[in-house]
Amino acid sequence: MAAPILETLQLTKRFGGLVAVNGVDFRVRAGEIRGIIGPNGAGKTTLVNLITGLYPPSAGDVRLDGASLLGCAPHRVAHAGLMRSFQVSRLFGNLSLLENLLIPYFALARGADRAAGEQRAWRFLELTRLATMAHDLAKTLSGGQRALLQVAVGFMNPLLKCYVLDEPFAGINPVIKESILALIEHENRANALTFVVVSHETALMRRLCGQITVMMDGRIAAEGTLDEIARRQDVIAGYLGKAGI
Amino acid sequence: MISTELIAQSLLAGIIIGVVYALMALGITFIYSIVKMINWAMGEFYMIGSYVQYFLIAQLLGPDLWFIAAPLAAFSVFLFGYFLEPLLIKPMFTAGIERKDDYATVVTIALLLMLRSLATVLSGPYQRNPGSNLPTVMLGPLPESGARLAAAVCGLAVMALFYVLLKTTWLGLAMRAAAQSRFGVQTAGVDIFRMDRIAFGIGVALAGLAGALLAPVFLVYPTNGIVTTTKGFEIIVIGGLGSIPGALIAGLMLGIVESLGASFLAPAYQNAYGFILLLIVLLIRPSGLFGERVRQA
Repeated sequence: MAAPILETLQLTKRFGGLVAVNGVDFRVRAGEIRGIIGPNGAGKTTLVNLITGLYPPSAGDVRLDGASLLGCAPHRVAHAGLMRSFQVSRLFGNLSLLENLLIPYFALARGADRAAGEQRAWRFLELTRLATMAHDLAKTLSGGQRALLQVAVGFMNPLLKCYVLDEPFAGINPVIKESILALIEHENRANALTFVVVSHETALMRRLCGQITVMMDGRIAAEGTLDEIARRQDVIAGYLGKAGI
Repeated sequence: MISTELIAQSLLAGIIIGVVYALMALGITFIYSIVKMINWAMGEFYMIGSYVQYFLIAQLLGPDLWFIAAPLAAFSVFLFGYFLEPLLIKPMFTAGIERKDDYATVVTIALLLMLRSLATVLSGPYQRNPGSNLPTVMLGPLPESGARLAAAVCGLAVMALFYVLLKTTWLGLAMRAAAQSRFGVQTAGVDIFRMDRIAFGIGVALAGLAGALLAPVFLVYPTNGIVTTTKGFEIIVIGGLGSIPGALIAGLMLGIVESLGASFLAPAYQNAYGFILLLIVLLIRPSGLFGERVRQA
Protein backbone atom coordinates (compact mmCIF):
# COMPACT_ATOMS: atom_id res chain seq x y z
CA MET A 1 0.00 0.00 0.00
CA ALA A 2 1.32 3.44 -0.96
CA ALA A 3 2.04 5.95 1.83
CA PRO A 4 -1.28 7.01 3.31
CA ILE A 5 -2.36 10.66 3.06
CA LEU A 6 -4.49 10.28 6.16
CA GLU A 7 -3.75 7.89 8.97
CA THR A 8 -4.69 7.42 12.58
CA LEU A 9 -2.42 5.55 14.99
CA GLN A 10 -4.07 3.73 17.90
CA LEU A 11 -6.61 6.55 18.04
CA THR A 12 -8.71 6.34 21.20
CA LYS A 13 -11.47 8.52 22.68
CA ARG A 14 -13.04 7.89 26.06
CA PHE A 15 -16.10 9.73 27.34
CA GLY A 16 -16.07 8.84 31.04
CA GLY A 17 -16.37 5.07 31.14
CA LEU A 18 -17.43 4.76 27.49
CA VAL A 19 -14.72 4.06 24.91
CA ALA A 20 -16.25 5.57 21.76
CA VAL A 21 -13.18 5.00 19.59
CA ASN A 22 -10.84 2.25 20.69
CA GLY A 23 -7.29 2.02 19.32
CA VAL A 24 -8.22 2.66 15.70
CA ASP A 25 -5.55 2.38 12.98
CA PHE A 26 -7.22 3.88 9.93
CA ARG A 27 -5.33 4.53 6.68
CA VAL A 28 -6.49 6.21 3.50
CA ARG A 29 -4.38 6.39 0.35
CA ALA A 30 -4.08 9.61 -1.65
CA GLY A 31 -6.78 9.85 -4.30
CA GLU A 32 -8.99 7.25 -2.65
CA ILE A 33 -12.68 7.62 -1.85
CA ARG A 34 -13.07 5.68 1.38
CA GLY A 35 -16.41 4.83 2.88
CA ILE A 36 -17.10 4.36 6.58
CA ILE A 37 -20.21 2.42 7.59
CA GLY A 38 -21.38 0.95 10.83
CA PRO A 39 -24.43 0.72 13.07
CA ASN A 40 -25.57 3.72 15.09
CA GLY A 41 -23.26 4.36 18.02
CA ALA A 42 -20.36 2.52 16.39
CA GLY A 43 -18.13 5.59 16.75
CA LYS A 44 -18.16 6.86 13.13
CA THR A 45 -18.87 10.50 13.90
CA THR A 46 -16.52 10.43 16.91
CA LEU A 47 -13.78 9.13 14.63
CA VAL A 48 -14.49 11.95 12.18
CA ASN A 49 -14.47 14.50 15.00
CA LEU A 50 -11.13 13.18 16.21
CA ILE A 51 -9.62 13.22 12.72
CA THR A 52 -10.72 16.82 12.11
CA GLY A 53 -9.55 18.05 15.52
CA LEU A 54 -12.95 18.79 17.04
CA TYR A 55 -12.20 16.53 19.98
CA PRO A 56 -8.76 15.96 21.43
CA PRO A 57 -8.12 12.20 21.46
CA SER A 58 -7.55 10.38 24.75
CA ALA A 59 -4.64 8.56 23.09
CA GLY A 60 -3.13 8.04 19.67
CA ASP A 61 -2.31 10.33 16.76
CA VAL A 62 -3.82 11.68 13.55
CA ARG A 63 -1.51 12.39 10.61
CA LEU A 64 -2.16 14.14 7.36
CA ASP A 65 0.60 13.69 4.80
CA GLY A 66 2.86 12.48 7.59
CA ALA A 67 2.38 15.55 9.81
CA SER A 68 0.55 15.19 13.10
CA LEU A 69 -2.64 17.21 13.50
CA LEU A 70 -2.75 16.75 17.27
CA GLY A 71 -3.44 19.94 19.16
CA CYS A 72 -4.19 21.92 15.98
CA ALA A 73 -6.99 24.51 16.27
CA PRO A 74 -9.81 23.88 13.76
CA HIS A 75 -8.56 26.62 11.41
CA ARG A 76 -5.06 25.08 11.41
CA VAL A 77 -6.58 21.74 10.38
CA ALA A 78 -8.22 23.51 7.42
CA HIS A 79 -4.83 25.11 6.64
CA ALA A 80 -3.23 21.67 6.62
CA GLY A 81 -5.64 20.72 3.82
CA LEU A 82 -8.28 18.75 5.70
CA MET A 83 -11.91 19.88 5.46
CA ARG A 84 -15.09 18.31 6.72
CA SER A 85 -18.81 18.69 6.26
CA PHE A 86 -21.33 18.23 9.05
CA GLN A 87 -24.50 16.20 9.30
CA VAL A 88 -26.28 19.38 10.37
CA SER A 89 -25.56 22.26 8.00
CA ARG A 90 -23.00 24.77 9.28
CA LEU A 91 -23.67 27.39 6.62
CA PHE A 92 -23.97 31.07 7.44
CA GLY A 93 -27.69 31.65 6.95
CA ASN A 94 -27.50 35.43 6.71
CA LEU A 95 -24.76 35.43 4.07
CA SER A 96 -25.32 34.82 0.38
CA LEU A 97 -24.39 31.54 -1.30
CA LEU A 98 -21.46 33.27 -2.97
CA GLU A 99 -20.23 34.70 0.33
CA ASN A 100 -20.51 31.30 2.02
CA LEU A 101 -18.27 29.89 -0.70
CA LEU A 102 -15.76 32.74 -0.53
CA ILE A 103 -15.04 32.49 3.21
CA PRO A 104 -12.78 29.41 3.16
CA TYR A 105 -11.08 30.64 0.00
CA PHE A 106 -10.11 34.02 1.45
CA ALA A 107 -9.27 32.50 4.82
CA LEU A 108 -6.90 29.95 3.34
CA ALA A 109 -5.52 31.16 -0.01
CA ARG A 110 -2.22 32.98 0.32
CA GLY A 111 -2.29 36.36 -1.39
CA ALA A 112 -5.82 35.59 -2.54
CA ASP A 113 -7.28 37.96 -5.05
CA ARG A 114 -10.98 38.48 -5.18
CA ALA A 115 -11.34 37.70 -8.89
CA ALA A 116 -9.70 34.28 -8.57
CA GLY A 117 -11.84 33.48 -5.53
CA GLU A 118 -15.06 34.50 -7.25
CA GLN A 119 -14.13 32.54 -10.36
CA ARG A 120 -13.64 29.42 -8.26
CA ALA A 121 -16.88 30.05 -6.38
CA TRP A 122 -18.84 30.50 -9.62
CA ARG A 123 -17.43 27.24 -10.94
CA PHE A 124 -18.91 25.41 -7.96
CA LEU A 125 -22.17 27.34 -8.21
CA GLU A 126 -22.41 26.09 -11.82
CA LEU A 127 -21.44 22.54 -10.89
CA THR A 128 -24.08 22.44 -8.16
CA ARG A 129 -26.66 24.24 -10.35
CA LEU A 130 -27.11 26.86 -7.64
CA ALA A 131 -25.75 29.71 -9.79
CA THR A 132 -29.13 31.39 -10.23
CA MET A 133 -29.36 31.74 -6.43
CA ALA A 134 -25.80 33.00 -5.94
CA HIS A 135 -26.85 36.23 -4.27
CA ASP A 136 -29.71 34.79 -2.19
CA LEU A 137 -29.19 34.27 1.52
CA ALA A 138 -28.21 30.72 2.42
CA LYS A 139 -31.13 30.47 4.86
CA THR A 140 -33.55 30.57 1.90
CA LEU A 141 -32.22 27.24 0.60
CA SER A 142 -34.03 23.93 1.04
CA GLY A 143 -32.45 21.32 3.30
CA GLY A 144 -31.04 19.43 0.33
CA GLN A 145 -29.64 22.53 -1.31
CA ARG A 146 -27.98 23.44 1.98
CA ALA A 147 -26.32 20.05 2.13
CA LEU A 148 -25.16 20.48 -1.46
CA LEU A 149 -23.78 23.98 -0.83
CA GLN A 150 -22.07 22.79 2.33
CA VAL A 151 -20.23 20.10 0.38
CA ALA A 152 -19.24 22.71 -2.23
CA VAL A 153 -17.94 25.09 0.48
CA GLY A 154 -15.29 22.53 1.46
CA PHE A 155 -13.97 22.46 -2.11
CA MET A 156 -13.29 26.19 -1.89
CA ASN A 157 -10.30 25.46 0.36
CA PRO A 158 -7.44 25.98 -2.13
CA LEU A 159 -5.15 23.83 0.03
CA LEU A 160 -7.59 20.91 0.13
CA LYS A 161 -6.03 17.44 0.18
CA CYS A 162 -8.57 15.36 2.02
CA TYR A 163 -12.28 15.95 2.49
CA VAL A 164 -14.24 14.19 5.24
CA LEU A 165 -18.01 14.11 4.62
CA ASP A 166 -20.22 13.11 7.54
CA GLU A 167 -23.56 11.73 6.28
CA PRO A 168 -23.73 14.01 3.22
CA PHE A 169 -26.74 12.13 1.81
CA ALA A 170 -28.93 11.94 4.92
CA GLY A 171 -32.50 13.06 4.31
CA ILE A 172 -31.90 14.45 0.82
CA ASN A 173 -33.91 13.94 -2.36
CA PRO A 174 -32.43 11.74 -5.13
CA VAL A 175 -31.72 14.62 -7.54
CA ILE A 176 -29.52 16.44 -5.04
CA LYS A 177 -27.93 13.16 -3.92
CA GLU A 178 -26.91 12.67 -7.53
CA SER A 179 -25.47 16.22 -7.65
CA ILE A 180 -23.38 15.61 -4.52
CA LEU A 181 -22.17 12.27 -5.91
CA ALA A 182 -21.26 13.86 -9.22
CA LEU A 183 -19.39 16.66 -7.45
CA ILE A 184 -17.35 14.22 -5.36
CA GLU A 185 -16.55 12.02 -8.37
CA HIS A 186 -15.61 15.06 -10.46
CA GLU A 187 -13.22 16.50 -7.86
CA ASN A 188 -11.73 13.06 -7.21
CA ARG A 189 -10.99 12.53 -10.91
CA ALA A 190 -10.01 16.07 -11.84
CA ASN A 191 -7.89 16.97 -8.80
CA ALA A 192 -7.07 13.55 -7.31
CA LEU A 193 -8.64 14.66 -4.02
CA THR A 194 -9.00 12.11 -1.24
CA PHE A 195 -12.39 11.57 0.39
CA VAL A 196 -13.67 9.89 3.51
CA VAL A 197 -17.44 9.46 3.34
CA VAL A 198 -19.54 8.38 6.30
CA SER A 199 -22.93 7.16 5.14
CA HIS A 200 -25.63 4.56 5.62
CA GLU A 201 -26.56 4.57 1.94
CA THR A 202 -25.01 1.30 0.80
CA ALA A 203 -26.05 1.70 -2.85
CA LEU A 204 -24.31 5.05 -3.08
CA MET A 205 -21.29 3.72 -1.19
CA ARG A 206 -20.98 0.83 -3.65
CA ARG A 207 -20.84 3.30 -6.53
CA LEU A 208 -18.52 5.80 -4.83
CA CYS A 209 -16.08 3.86 -2.72
CA GLY A 210 -13.60 1.20 -3.71
CA GLN A 211 -12.77 0.41 -0.11
CA ILE A 212 -15.12 0.49 2.83
CA THR A 213 -14.26 0.46 6.52
CA VAL A 214 -16.82 -1.04 8.88
CA MET A 215 -16.85 0.30 12.42
CA MET A 216 -18.41 -1.54 15.32
CA ASP A 217 -18.16 -0.78 19.01
CA GLY A 218 -15.45 1.82 18.46
CA ARG A 219 -13.18 -0.49 16.48
CA ILE A 220 -12.57 -1.28 12.83
CA ALA A 221 -14.45 -4.54 12.32
CA ALA A 222 -13.64 -5.06 8.65
CA GLU A 223 -12.14 -3.39 5.60
CA GLY A 224 -12.55 -4.23 1.93
CA THR A 225 -14.90 -3.80 -0.99
CA LEU A 226 -18.57 -3.77 -0.17
CA ASP A 227 -18.97 -7.28 -1.57
CA GLU A 228 -16.08 -8.58 0.51
CA ILE A 229 -17.38 -7.21 3.74
CA ALA A 230 -20.90 -8.34 2.91
CA ARG A 231 -19.61 -11.95 3.06
CA ARG A 232 -18.09 -11.52 6.52
CA GLN A 233 -20.20 -13.40 9.05
CA ASP A 234 -19.12 -11.19 11.97
CA VAL A 235 -20.10 -8.05 10.03
CA ILE A 236 -23.43 -9.53 9.06
CA ALA A 237 -24.10 -10.55 12.62
CA GLY A 238 -23.14 -7.17 14.04
CA TYR A 239 -24.60 -4.89 11.43
CA LEU A 240 -25.83 -6.07 8.07
CA GLY A 241 -28.22 -8.55 9.55
CA LYS A 242 -30.16 -5.70 11.04
CA ALA A 243 -29.72 -3.07 8.35
CA GLY A 244 -29.81 -5.33 5.29
CA ILE A 245 -27.78 -4.61 2.16
CA MET B 1 -47.30 78.15 23.15
CA ILE B 2 -44.52 75.87 21.94
CA SER B 3 -42.54 77.41 19.12
CA THR B 4 -41.68 75.26 16.11
CA GLU B 5 -38.21 76.74 16.26
CA LEU B 6 -37.65 75.31 19.73
CA ILE B 7 -38.91 71.92 18.57
CA ALA B 8 -36.60 72.02 15.57
CA GLN B 9 -33.71 73.14 17.76
CA SER B 10 -34.31 70.28 20.20
CA LEU B 11 -34.68 67.75 17.41
CA LEU B 12 -31.42 68.87 15.86
CA ALA B 13 -29.60 68.74 19.19
CA GLY B 14 -31.03 65.26 19.79
CA ILE B 15 -29.98 63.96 16.38
CA ILE B 16 -26.48 65.35 16.76
CA ILE B 17 -25.84 63.84 20.18
CA GLY B 18 -27.68 60.65 19.15
CA VAL B 19 -25.19 60.02 16.36
CA VAL B 20 -22.28 60.10 18.80
CA TYR B 21 -24.14 57.89 21.27
CA ALA B 22 -24.74 55.50 18.38
CA LEU B 23 -20.98 55.34 17.79
CA MET B 24 -20.56 54.05 21.36
CA ALA B 25 -23.39 51.58 20.90
CA LEU B 26 -21.92 50.35 17.62
CA GLY B 27 -18.66 49.59 19.42
CA ILE B 28 -20.45 47.63 22.17
CA THR B 29 -22.63 45.70 19.75
CA PHE B 30 -19.73 44.91 17.37
CA ILE B 31 -17.57 43.46 20.14
CA TYR B 32 -20.56 41.49 21.42
CA SER B 33 -21.33 40.14 17.93
CA ILE B 34 -17.86 38.70 17.41
CA VAL B 35 -16.39 38.01 20.86
CA LYS B 36 -19.81 37.17 22.39
CA MET B 37 -19.00 39.26 25.43
CA ILE B 38 -20.23 42.55 26.84
CA ASN B 39 -17.33 44.94 27.32
CA TRP B 40 -18.22 46.95 30.43
CA ALA B 41 -15.03 48.98 30.11
CA MET B 42 -16.24 50.80 26.96
CA GLY B 43 -16.55 54.08 28.88
CA GLU B 44 -12.93 53.81 29.93
CA PHE B 45 -11.84 53.47 26.30
CA TYR B 46 -13.99 56.54 25.61
CA MET B 47 -12.12 58.22 28.47
CA ILE B 48 -8.72 57.21 27.07
CA GLY B 49 -9.73 58.57 23.65
CA SER B 50 -10.71 61.87 25.22
CA TYR B 51 -7.42 62.12 27.14
CA VAL B 52 -5.35 61.35 24.03
CA GLN B 53 -7.33 64.00 22.16
CA TYR B 54 -6.74 66.47 24.99
CA PHE B 55 -3.00 65.89 25.14
CA LEU B 56 -2.60 65.98 21.36
CA ILE B 57 -4.49 69.26 21.14
CA ALA B 58 -3.11 70.90 24.28
CA GLN B 59 0.51 69.79 23.85
CA LEU B 60 1.16 69.22 20.17
CA LEU B 61 -1.36 70.19 17.55
CA GLY B 62 -3.62 72.93 18.88
CA PRO B 63 -7.43 73.04 18.64
CA ASP B 64 -7.43 73.84 14.92
CA LEU B 65 -6.00 70.41 14.08
CA TRP B 66 -8.69 68.49 16.02
CA PHE B 67 -9.48 66.53 12.85
CA ILE B 68 -5.95 65.10 12.85
CA ALA B 69 -5.95 64.48 16.59
CA ALA B 70 -9.26 62.54 16.58
CA PRO B 71 -8.19 59.74 14.19
CA LEU B 72 -4.86 59.52 16.01
CA ALA B 73 -6.72 59.19 19.31
CA ALA B 74 -9.00 56.50 17.85
CA PHE B 75 -6.02 54.65 16.38
CA SER B 76 -4.11 54.68 19.66
CA VAL B 77 -7.17 53.26 21.43
CA PHE B 78 -7.37 50.60 18.68
CA LEU B 79 -3.76 49.61 19.31
CA PHE B 80 -4.35 49.54 23.06
CA GLY B 81 -7.38 47.26 22.63
CA TYR B 82 -5.65 45.11 20.00
CA PHE B 83 -2.76 44.33 22.34
CA LEU B 84 -4.86 44.14 25.51
CA GLU B 85 -7.35 41.57 24.16
CA PRO B 86 -4.89 38.63 23.91
CA LEU B 87 -3.59 39.45 27.40
CA LEU B 88 -6.90 39.76 29.24
CA ILE B 89 -9.83 38.44 27.18
CA LYS B 90 -8.42 35.56 25.12
CA PRO B 91 -7.18 33.54 28.13
CA MET B 92 -10.79 33.46 29.37
CA PHE B 93 -11.84 31.81 26.10
CA THR B 94 -9.07 29.21 25.94
CA ALA B 95 -8.97 27.87 29.48
CA GLY B 96 -11.09 24.81 30.18
CA ILE B 97 -13.91 26.61 31.99
CA GLU B 98 -17.66 26.71 31.54
CA ARG B 99 -19.47 29.91 30.47
CA LYS B 100 -16.30 31.55 29.19
CA ASP B 101 -18.07 34.75 28.16
CA ASP B 102 -19.08 35.36 31.79
CA TYR B 103 -15.48 35.30 32.92
CA ALA B 104 -14.43 37.57 30.08
CA THR B 105 -17.19 40.01 31.07
CA VAL B 106 -16.00 40.06 34.67
CA VAL B 107 -12.49 40.78 33.42
CA THR B 108 -13.82 43.88 31.61
CA ILE B 109 -15.39 45.10 34.88
CA ALA B 110 -12.01 44.77 36.59
CA LEU B 111 -10.45 46.58 33.65
CA LEU B 112 -13.00 49.40 34.03
CA LEU B 113 -12.02 49.96 37.67
CA MET B 114 -8.32 49.72 36.94
CA LEU B 115 -8.33 52.17 34.02
CA ARG B 116 -10.50 54.69 35.86
CA SER B 117 -8.23 54.60 38.92
CA LEU B 118 -5.15 54.77 36.73
CA ALA B 119 -6.48 57.92 35.04
CA THR B 120 -7.11 59.53 38.42
CA VAL B 121 -3.59 58.66 39.57
CA LEU B 122 -1.96 59.90 36.37
CA SER B 123 -3.90 63.08 35.69
CA GLY B 124 -5.79 63.87 38.89
CA PRO B 125 -9.54 64.31 39.18
CA TYR B 126 -9.55 67.63 37.29
CA GLN B 127 -11.79 68.44 34.38
CA ARG B 128 -9.77 69.43 31.34
CA ASN B 129 -10.99 71.13 28.22
CA PRO B 130 -9.07 70.79 24.97
CA GLY B 131 -11.04 73.74 23.64
CA SER B 132 -12.46 74.19 20.18
CA ASN B 133 -12.13 77.06 17.74
CA LEU B 134 -15.04 75.85 15.65
CA PRO B 135 -17.57 78.66 15.31
CA THR B 136 -21.28 78.28 15.89
CA VAL B 137 -22.87 77.19 12.64
CA MET B 138 -26.29 78.35 11.43
CA LEU B 139 -28.33 75.47 10.01
CA GLY B 140 -31.09 77.55 8.41
CA PRO B 141 -32.42 79.58 11.31
CA LEU B 142 -30.95 77.20 13.90
CA PRO B 143 -27.62 77.85 15.60
CA GLU B 144 -25.56 74.79 16.47
CA SER B 145 -22.25 74.46 18.31
CA GLY B 146 -19.47 73.79 15.81
CA ALA B 147 -17.82 71.16 18.03
CA ARG B 148 -21.06 69.16 18.40
CA LEU B 149 -21.85 69.39 14.72
CA ALA B 150 -18.33 68.29 13.79
CA ALA B 151 -18.63 65.35 16.19
CA ALA B 152 -21.91 64.27 14.58
CA VAL B 153 -20.64 64.62 11.01
CA CYS B 154 -17.47 62.65 11.82
CA GLY B 155 -19.54 60.07 13.69
CA LEU B 156 -21.83 59.57 10.69
CA ALA B 157 -18.87 59.38 8.30
CA VAL B 158 -17.14 56.75 10.42
CA MET B 159 -20.32 54.68 10.73
CA ALA B 160 -20.76 54.82 6.95
CA LEU B 161 -17.12 53.79 6.45
CA PHE B 162 -17.55 50.97 8.98
CA TYR B 163 -20.61 49.72 7.11
CA VAL B 164 -18.89 49.84 3.71
CA LEU B 165 -15.81 48.01 5.02
CA LEU B 166 -18.02 45.38 6.66
CA LYS B 167 -19.89 44.81 3.39
CA THR B 168 -17.07 44.96 0.87
CA THR B 169 -13.84 43.66 2.39
CA TRP B 170 -12.72 40.12 3.05
CA LEU B 171 -12.18 40.97 6.73
CA GLY B 172 -15.73 42.35 6.89
CA LEU B 173 -17.05 39.12 5.38
CA ALA B 174 -15.13 37.04 7.91
CA MET B 175 -16.49 39.26 10.72
CA ARG B 176 -20.08 38.88 9.51
CA ALA B 177 -19.59 35.12 9.33
CA ALA B 178 -17.96 35.00 12.78
CA ALA B 179 -20.92 36.95 14.18
CA GLN B 180 -23.21 34.16 12.95
CA SER B 181 -21.14 31.19 14.05
CA ARG B 182 -17.80 31.23 15.85
CA PHE B 183 -17.57 27.50 15.31
CA GLY B 184 -18.46 27.65 11.61
CA VAL B 185 -15.77 30.17 10.67
CA GLN B 186 -13.10 28.16 12.42
CA THR B 187 -13.84 25.03 10.41
CA ALA B 188 -13.80 27.24 7.30
CA GLY B 189 -10.21 28.14 8.14
CA VAL B 190 -10.64 31.50 9.88
CA ASP B 191 -8.48 32.17 12.95
CA ILE B 192 -11.21 33.20 15.39
CA PHE B 193 -8.80 34.61 17.95
CA ARG B 194 -7.38 36.97 15.35
CA MET B 195 -10.95 38.10 14.59
CA ASP B 196 -11.50 38.65 18.33
CA ARG B 197 -8.42 40.85 18.59
CA ILE B 198 -9.35 42.95 15.60
CA ALA B 199 -13.01 43.24 16.61
CA PHE B 200 -12.08 44.24 20.14
CA GLY B 201 -9.64 46.83 18.80
CA ILE B 202 -12.18 48.28 16.36
CA GLY B 203 -14.97 48.30 18.95
CA VAL B 204 -12.96 50.17 21.57
CA ALA B 205 -11.57 52.49 18.88
CA LEU B 206 -15.16 53.56 18.11
CA ALA B 207 -15.56 54.43 21.80
CA GLY B 208 -12.20 56.21 21.74
CA LEU B 209 -13.29 58.22 18.72
CA ALA B 210 -16.52 59.22 20.46
CA GLY B 211 -14.42 60.35 23.44
CA ALA B 212 -12.09 62.35 21.21
CA LEU B 213 -14.93 64.02 19.30
CA LEU B 214 -16.88 64.90 22.45
CA ALA B 215 -13.83 66.04 24.45
CA PRO B 216 -14.58 69.77 23.96
CA VAL B 217 -18.30 69.20 24.68
CA PHE B 218 -18.39 66.92 27.73
CA LEU B 219 -14.79 67.63 28.83
CA VAL B 220 -12.03 65.27 29.89
CA TYR B 221 -11.85 63.64 33.34
CA PRO B 222 -11.39 60.10 34.70
CA THR B 223 -15.10 59.23 34.92
CA ASN B 224 -16.33 61.02 31.79
CA GLY B 225 -17.13 57.70 30.11
CA ILE B 226 -19.90 56.77 32.53
CA VAL B 227 -22.71 58.76 30.93
CA THR B 228 -21.96 57.86 27.31
CA THR B 229 -21.48 54.20 28.22
CA THR B 230 -24.84 54.15 29.98
CA LYS B 231 -26.33 55.65 26.82
CA GLY B 232 -24.51 53.07 24.72
CA PHE B 233 -26.03 50.22 26.72
CA GLU B 234 -29.48 51.82 26.64
CA ILE B 235 -29.16 52.03 22.88
CA ILE B 236 -28.19 48.41 22.32
CA VAL B 237 -31.09 47.25 24.46
CA ILE B 238 -33.50 49.52 22.57
CA GLY B 239 -32.05 48.68 19.15
CA GLY B 240 -31.44 44.99 19.82
CA LEU B 241 -28.11 43.49 20.83
CA GLY B 242 -25.96 42.63 17.82
CA SER B 243 -27.84 44.85 15.34
CA ILE B 244 -25.90 47.59 13.55
CA PRO B 245 -28.90 49.45 12.08
CA GLY B 246 -30.50 49.06 15.52
CA ALA B 247 -27.56 50.91 17.08
CA LEU B 248 -27.90 53.88 14.73
CA ILE B 249 -31.68 54.19 14.86
CA ALA B 250 -31.91 53.67 18.61
CA GLY B 251 -29.07 56.16 19.10
CA LEU B 252 -31.01 58.80 17.19
CA MET B 253 -34.21 57.94 19.07
CA LEU B 254 -32.49 58.22 22.43
CA GLY B 255 -30.86 61.53 21.54
CA ILE B 256 -34.14 63.01 20.31
CA VAL B 257 -36.21 61.78 23.28
CA GLU B 258 -33.70 63.16 25.76
CA SER B 259 -33.42 66.44 23.98
CA LEU B 260 -37.17 66.98 23.59
CA GLY B 261 -37.76 65.93 27.19
CA ALA B 262 -35.12 68.34 28.45
CA SER B 263 -36.60 71.22 26.43
CA PHE B 264 -40.30 70.69 27.10
CA LEU B 265 -40.55 68.79 30.38
CA ALA B 266 -37.66 69.38 32.73
CA PRO B 267 -33.93 69.52 31.90
CA ALA B 268 -33.03 68.04 35.30
CA TYR B 269 -34.45 64.66 34.28
CA GLN B 270 -32.73 64.47 30.89
CA ASN B 271 -31.12 61.11 31.63
CA ALA B 272 -34.42 59.64 32.84
CA TYR B 273 -36.26 60.13 29.54
CA GLY B 274 -34.02 57.63 27.83
CA PHE B 275 -34.85 55.01 30.44
CA ILE B 276 -38.57 55.66 29.97
CA LEU B 277 -38.06 55.04 26.25
CA LEU B 278 -36.14 51.88 27.14
CA LEU B 279 -38.97 50.62 29.36
CA ILE B 280 -41.58 51.28 26.68
CA VAL B 281 -39.55 49.47 23.99
CA LEU B 282 -38.94 46.52 26.30
CA LEU B 283 -42.66 46.27 27.08
CA ILE B 284 -43.55 46.20 23.38
CA ARG B 285 -40.54 44.32 21.97
CA PRO B 286 -38.51 42.55 24.66
CA SER B 287 -35.75 41.68 22.17
CA GLY B 288 -35.28 45.30 21.09
CA LEU B 289 -36.32 46.95 17.83
CA PHE B 290 -33.99 44.93 15.58
CA GLY B 291 -33.01 42.12 17.94
CA GLU B 292 -33.47 38.48 17.08
CA ARG B 293 -36.03 36.82 19.26
CA VAL B 294 -33.90 33.76 19.80
CA ARG B 295 -30.18 33.79 19.25
CA GLN B 296 -28.61 30.67 17.86
CA ALA B 297 -25.69 29.28 19.77
